[in-house]
Amino acid sequence: MSIALEWKKTKRTGFFLTFVAGGLLAGAVPILNMMVREKCYVGRKEPAVDIILNANWQLMAMLTILLLLVGACMLYHTEYADNAIQRMRTMPKRECGLFYSKCGLLLFMSIFLVFLQALAIYFCMVHWFAYTAEQISVLIYNFSYTFILLLPSVFGFLLIASVCNNMWIPLGIGVVCIFTATMLPTNNRWLSLFPFALPFQTYVGKDWNTIRMDLLAAVVESMLACIAEGIILKGRRALA
Amino acid sequence: MNIIETKNLTKSYGNFTAVSGVNLHIPRGTVYGFLGPNGAGKSTTMKMFLGLTKPTEGTFSIDNKRYPEDRVEILKEVGSFIEAPAFYGNLSGEENLEIIRKILGLPKASVKEALELVGLTEHRKRLAKKYSLGMKQRLGLASALIGRPPILILDEPTNGLDPVGIHEIRTLIRSLPQKFNCTVFVSSHLLSEIELMADNIGILNHGHLIFEGTLPMLKRNASLQGFPTENLEETFLAMIDEDNRQRSGKR
Repeated sequence: MSIALEWKKTKRTGFFLTFVAGGLLAGAVPILNMMVREKCYVGRKEPAVDIILNANWQLMAMLTILLLLVGACMLYHTEYADNAIQRMRTMPKRECGLFYSKCGLLLFMSIFLVFLQALAIYFCMVHWFAYTAEQISVLIYNFSYTFILLLPSVFGFLLIASVCNNMWIPLGIGVVCIFTATMLPTNNRWLSLFPFALPFQTYVGKDWNTIRMDLLAAVVESMLACIAEGIILKGRRALA
Repeated sequence: MNIIETKNLTKSYGNFTAVSGVNLHIPRGTVYGFLGPNGAGKSTTMKMFLGLTKPTEGTFSIDNKRYPEDRVEILKEVGSFIEAPAFYGNLSGEENLEIIRKILGLPKASVKEALELVGLTEHRKRLAKKYSLGMKQRLGLASALIGRPPILILDEPTNGLDPVGIHEIRTLIRSLPQKFNCTVFVSSHLLSEIELMADNIGILNHGHLIFEGTLPMLKRNASLQGFPTENLEETFLAMIDEDNRQRSGKR
């Protein structure tokens, strides 16, 4: 199974439209904030990218992660709604291939979201601040870091969505996970590594050790989600 | 030569045994009718062949390939339709088959051929969720037939079809071994339906195989045991009734 095939399966589901609308909404957050509260931000001593991210990232991250949750639920809902997943399970392919293809598609959509948001921040930097080339590289590093921190959410939401036939259950579980993440104290190092809390972090103002630990945690959590999916698929066949 | 063979195939769910020590022998290039009342274990047996559920005990081989070692190899040779049609409701009939075609790596013409075989060509552009039950059933059959697999596993394929549709599908199934040189393993709870298309029959009741053989053998067997043989439906019902009586006696 391939990402292109997964893309075809989403035809007429509103999947792409959801990501475009959600991505534009998340991108509009810093622009609207700057338009309305320009005086609060312009003229401050910190670098432009720090000011914009500190002011807007929490809401942007929340929208991004909610979009990933909705996307994951939609991807598995198309499989479960008319029992297409049963046909897929009788195909001469490994069943985890379906999961990985969906991960591939959702990761591609994450890149699209991250790109839209980076563009929005860049627009704010150009329009309201005097920025330097160094800040552009910080912006690129920040969104590369963001993309990697989104990995556990992508794998985690798809893992949850793959388990439940009824789309509303993973959607509910996902929303609970996101709100739990927002309530965790950010100053606690270990709690901040909660998979769905990672995307709320930014690259700016962090030392290299912390960044390295975040990235490592994101990769390990993603791998654990993949291993869990393999165990679930085996268990499901044994118990079916 | 048998293309599908099972040895003591068993599937239990806790204390309940859905399939109990079944030994099936399905000859290559024939239509094998798998009969039994609802809940006899027909679908469970078929699901085991497709790797949808794991046998609790026993083994089976399909075209000399053994489960679970050769699961993917087995599925390469099998076209299947289990319980109810499975499809993507947001895609048209043609797009659904296109997905299957791409996964199986078949030529483009195979979609058109499958649609023609089941009489869905006219409705190929319509969304699958807007199909009638009969059309969904035909789409399920098309997805099993696409690429002319050497083995077909069909679970009650005429469910939901009108009498004309039932006749068409029955004729199609009957013709498949000659047309495509394939083996068909088809289940039903209606003997009248099976006797019109099957070369061999297996009768399952409460997970036990109570008969396996050809129709003349079934008649002969029934006659020896004192069951009515004029009407095969009555023969079938009498056999099931007797088996149920023996089982309740044992308990």
